[in-house]
Amino acid sequence: MSTDRIEREIKIAAPIERVWAVLTEPAHVGTWFGNGSPAEIDLRPGGVMVLDHGEHGTYQTLIVNVDPPRAFSYRWAAGYPGVVATELNSTLVEFTLEAAAGGTLLRVVESGFDELVIPAGREGSAGFESHSEGWTGVIARLGEYVEGRDESSLSPPE
Amino acid sequence: MNAVVNDVEDVLSALADPTRRELLERLSMRGHATATTLADELPISRQAVVQHLALLDSVGLVSARREGRERLFAVRTEQLTKTARWMDTLAERWDLRLAAIKRLAEM
Repeated sequence: MSTDRIEREIKIAAPIERVWAVLTEPAHVGTWFGNGSPAEIDLRPGGVMVLDHGEHGTYQTLIVNVDPPRAFSYRWAAGYPGVVATELNSTLVEFTLEAAAGGTLLRVVESGFDELVIPAGREGSAGFESHSEGWTGVIARLGEYVEGRDESSLSPPE
Repeated sequence: MNAVVNDVEDVLSALADPTRRELLERLSMRGHATATTLADELPISRQAVVQHLALLDSVGLVSARREGRERLFAVRTEQLTKTARWMDTLAERWDLRLAAIKRLAEM
């Protein structure tokens, strides 16, 4: 399992322009990724798209790429409601659209989890590099350990 | 954001340090060990090992119990499992959002 990125895709029986509209128009975005009311979107690189997640907070995502109708990406600071996403506090969400037989293939990749959590005071320091190997490997390896040993970690030594 | 995410962030912060990862892996291989044993195997002081273990303990990644004059540490797996599950949850949310986009686009 990769812990740095999540990749998902879906086949949609609609033309690519239609999918692009759903992906980027305020009324649609508010429906599939908000609280139902139209989302505030400044649709340009460097623009902000505001996603209202109700009790979880309001997220100010930073739009990175707008290439209709093929690519749309933004940075999303899910751990930091209320502040504009930066490279340090957010993951990158990238949508790609591809015309396919009978409709459109829509792909989403959310990446940057390995760098998402930076220990306080270590931003920009050399310690940052240690994330690249980071917890990805640890979780994978210890996951095997979990499956192999189960509850025994708490049992007394023989 | 919420308690689970806070826990996950604590776990990830703890795992961001290579020495702590090394300690966890050694603990998981051995099942349990004291700070002294771990310090003997690594090029760091016992005091440093104790500090790292204390941090791992504070975020729930290891457990400690008294064994004679020393404390015996073991890996606790709940938080790691929770972290892995958190990633699965995020992926599932994307599935739900993509399904919503599909519904809207196909209307």
